[in-house]
Amino acid sequence: MAKVLIPTPLRQYADKKDTVELSGATVGEVLAALTTQFGDLRKHLFNDEGKLRSFVNVYLNDEDIRYLDKDKTAVKDGDTLSIVPSIAGGSYGG
Amino acid sequence: MISIESGAWDVMISHAKKTYPNECCGAMIGAIDGDQKAVSVAVPLENAFTGEQGARYELRQEDLLRADSEARSRGLDLIGIFHSHPDCDAYFSKTDLENSCPWYSFVVLSIKNGEFDHANSFLPDPDQTKADKEELIWPKS
Repeated sequence: MAKVLIPTPLRQYADKKDTVELSGATVGEVLAALTTQFGDLRKHLFNDEGKLRSFVNVYLNDEDIRYLDKDKTAVKDGDTLSIVPSIAGGSYGG
Repeated sequence: MISIESGAWDVMISHAKKTYPNECCGAMIGAIDGDQKAVSVAVPLENAFTGEQGARYELRQEDLLRADSEARSRGLDLIGIFHSHPDCDAYFSKTDLENSCPWYSFVVLSIKNGEFDHANSFLPDPDQTKADKEELIWPKS
């Protein structure tokens, strides 16, 4: 089982859990299990085409899966998946 | 509504003044009770934007992950992000909106001539098309 850390604002869609233990051989399978168990989470993580929203990043332990094997990255028992948003900005552009 | 306790507020203002005339950024940690958010800890983070930082900021995801871990270890929640607008008002710019995330409160600090002027908090929508203003309460000096 892998552990998925749920960001605070999304816990309301995951039975108020801060952590969920799920099975899956890959990151994609674990995320699919997550949104199958908690259907309301899907639209917060994925767009209408079923792709992760542009600001959503997934880390396996301390590594961004974009630099591993993306959603095909293998997951082992005891691994931790974190959902981390991209955030930037500034006064530029008014 | 989001309220910021004095210790956290002092850290935010101090970080914004120290990085002036560049923008600063950081994480806000605290507790949520329904629509009421109380920030008790502010974590200054490095502005990772690689160009001119006077009107841009970028958070490193690894830093945000660490801030979230710190919140969890204290039994608290990561509830917001703050950044400064040097020598302009605390509006939510097009750049802020296009690079936002709807999960958190975004507090913008207006720093003019190196001193705090005013602040606002915003709640961006999931499609990054608009951000509603959120009531913000900070300790008045």
